[in-house]
Amino acid sequence: MAVRPDNRLADGAMQPVACDACGACVLVRKSSWEQTSLQWSAEAAEACVERRAASPRPGPNGTAFSGCGSLRDSVRAAVHRGEVKVQIEDDLKTNPEAQEHEHA
Amino acid sequence: MTAVEDEVRRIEADAAPTRFARGWHCLGLAKDFQDGKPHQVLAFGQKLVVFSGEDGEVNVLDGYCRHMGGDLSQGTVKGNNIACPFHDWRWGGDGRCKEIPYARRVPMRARTASWPTLVQDGMLFVWNDPQGNQPPEDVTIPRIAGATDENWTDWTWYTTVIEGANCREIVDNVVDMAHFFYIHYSFPTYFKNIFEGTTATQFMEGTGREDVARPQNTGSNAPKSLGNSSVAAYHGPSFMIDDLTYHYEDGDIQSVLINCHYPIDSNSFVLQYGVIVEKKPGMDDAEANELARKMGDFIRLGFEQDVTIWKNKARIDNPLLCEEDGPVYQLRRWYEQFYVDVDDVTDEMTDRFEFEIDTDRPNEAWKREVAENIAAREAASSDQGQPV
Repeated sequence: MAVRPDNRLADGAMQPVACDACGACVLVRKSSWEQTSLQWSAEAAEACVERRAASPRPGPNGTAFSGCGSLRDSVRAAVHRGEVKVQIEDDLKTNPEAQEHEHA
Repeated sequence: MTAVEDEVRRIEADAAPTRFARGWHCLGLAKDFQDGKPHQVLAFGQKLVVFSGEDGEVNVLDGYCRHMGGDLSQGTVKGNNIACPFHDWRWGGDGRCKEIPYARRVPMRARTASWPTLVQDGMLFVWNDPQGNQPPEDVTIPRIAGATDENWTDWTWYTTVIEGANCREIVDNVVDMAHFFYIHYSFPTYFKNIFEGTTATQFMEGTGREDVARPQNTGSNAPKSLGNSSVAAYHGPSFMIDDLTYHYEDGDIQSVLINCHYPIDSNSFVLQYGVIVEKKPGMDDAEANELARKMGDFIRLGFEQDVTIWKNKARIDNPLLCEEDGPVYQLRRWYEQFYVDVDDVTDEMTDRFEFEIDTDRPNEAWKREVAENIAAREAASSDQGQPV
């Protein structure tokens, strides 16, 4: 019962980006300016310097590595250079019913 | 109109899985099983008996006696064993028959199925594994400091049976972005999912309007809510800890929510959730418990809406997602690892995946700069006569 591919990938595939700090290569997709998806491989996770240096955050869910700042900057730079496509450039919407709710 | 636009989208779905997820499942609060009586639990397509003897250990065995099939959950706890109501055969927590009062010897092969258990932070967990393996040492449930801290409340706990739905429906909630839009009227200012190994985490920062519907002290002098921060994670297939902080003008309120389930069979499951809240200085126990109760009741309302959807919806293996939806397929890929043999778990099920929404960046300026960069590069390459 294999899980099917994400239908959105047919409209725009993930694109490789290498981290400027450690060279770890991940796949990136941006559905909007606000949204970023990253697919790591085991090799990339091993190569990531920030990940190795990270200490757990407090709390019961603190062991999950929250993310690499260098990689985030590298992805941002790749988008900046036009190397990673932003699928939909419009602003995120807000719910029109929100105003009614506020007045109620 | 193109052929693709003209084609009717078909809902596709395989049958619900016939096996049950490998992993730790919370059966409820441990104290409810530690009263010296046998408890019947319908889980993983079977009838189980849960009992605690004189040694205080909580044991989980198959519900049916291997002698003549008596229902052990109707029996009696004697010493550290469960005694069958039919002929008084005594079964230990390790699944072995310890004594038959009328027999000189216990026959060979007098062994029934037993489940590894864990009592931690007031909750009882049972390890399910269709391959019959013991839990690996690195597959654990993290400790919750507040659960054993006297400055926090005890668990306020809720249990509900969901008929007519497979438990995998509830797991999709972890990535449901559209939910924020309709329930909270806007996307969170920050949202992130991370799937890695056996853990699926959700980070969330909510502000402003979301708090309209949040439980809080009412009245004109109530402190103003400034939003909340949440880190919620599934540890394995069925147990989620939500580390949740409400921010108010006069300080933070810390709480922990549990959202967990276990399957009864492939078309029903038991959904449980619990709340503990840190007692603020000056807050007495009754006030703190009332706050926990309000939070729990608020969560119950949310789940009640979900349950109506789950019971009536179609299972859909090919959801048609828009760009604003969350990583539903990637979550399901992660979840699939619990339904295959250990040797069949693939890298793509466990490799790290991140999905982030950050609304705090000045996107207008960024957009403009990128457009300028691309235009400049295109102009430069066309000047040189190169193909673009």
